[in-house]
Amino acid sequence: MKKGLYILFFGFCSSAGAVVSTGVDEAARLPYWELRDTGISLRLVQRLPDQTRGYFLARGFEMKHVERIALSCVFQTVFKNISHKTKPDPIVYDVRDWVVIYKGEKRSLKIREDWSTEWQKEKVSQSARLAFEWSLMPTQQEYQPGDYNWGMSAFNLAPGSVFDLEVVWKQYGKINRSLIRGITCSPDIHPEPGDIP
Amino acid sequence: MTARLLLGFMTCLLLIQSPHLLARDTNKETLPIVDKPFLAPDFYLQGEDGTKYRLSDYRGKVVILNFWATWCPPCRDEMPSMQRAWEKLKGKGVVILGINVGEDADTIFEFTGQYPVSFPLPMDQDGAVIKKYPVSALPTSYIVSPKGYVTHRVVGTREWDAPDMLDRLLALTRK
Repeated sequence: MKKGLYILFFGFCSSAGAVVSTGVDEAARLPYWELRDTGISLRLVQRLPDQTRGYFLARGFEMKHVERIALSCVFQTVFKNISHKTKPDPIVYDVRDWVVIYKGEKRSLKIREDWSTEWQKEKVSQSARLAFEWSLMPTQQEYQPGDYNWGMSAFNLAPGSVFDLEVVWKQYGKINRSLIRGITCSPDIHPEPGDIP
Repeated sequence: MTARLLLGFMTCLLLIQSPHLLARDTNKETLPIVDKPFLAPDFYLQGEDGTKYRLSDYRGKVVILNFWATWCPPCRDEMPSMQRAWEKLKGKGVVILGINVGEDADTIFEFTGQYPVSFPLPMDQDGAVIKKYPVSALPTSYIVSPKGYVTHRVVGTREWDAPDMLDRLLALTRK
């Protein structure tokens, strides 16, 4: 019992001073996982596959493509450089350095460039491709103190999958790594008006 | 054992909260400078109302070049503060061009019904202009100097009408 409580309390506090928390995002009313450290805040908010379907259908994608995106474990990602509040320093990251750990196997996120190759092969319209490109979290980015962005991240896992994510970023002259455990892809549910999340 | 558990739990809570505690007196908006200023690529785009906009026509003024889209939540979030800044800076040498990426006039028209905006909204429908700028996410804003150079880059939103932000923008008109 006490061991269980230790895991509950300390499981969210990673070794390098980064703190991971989880809860329900106030705006989306969906579960989130958040990593905070001296200069960084990264929040991953679940997106329901149905939300993603609606979003990309409205951007000109065909249903077969929409299904592929919606069922690829999409999160809304909010990345902030909060170092201006403490010790200002830029952040540089490359999503290709991040590691998705699923059932003990290391994998990568499905990034803009992966999707772009598929859309070009399948002759997806230019306007849809453009909306998709700018909707996804950038593969590489430099954030100055105070900068922040939102974007979708696709983890390429089935709805309901549970995985860990190793986040890697450069700040304060070193490479920082933190592990977010137990992130859960949204199940493919279809909420009705009046349903309580 | 229980005391250690409690102490650890409180430490964890403090760590979660600490960025907020530290943030209280340091909420000034940031306006990051680009390492190497570069000549802003020129463009000639049509607005949702049919008006044509050429960036080089604004030489002599500070231009806030904001890349945005209606479907981008933080872009929508900063529109009201951008509109207020536009109103406060009118006639003072600072202009705002909100370049919409990839959408059509009907979509923008519908958006401005919900978010009243009176500054120019040129449409980059095929994404040709955004590709000329080092943008990797929306919204991104660039500050273009009166001489036509990109001097600052802002990724994400800002309170554009915050007093310190307005002061800094006005100071750039005097450089």
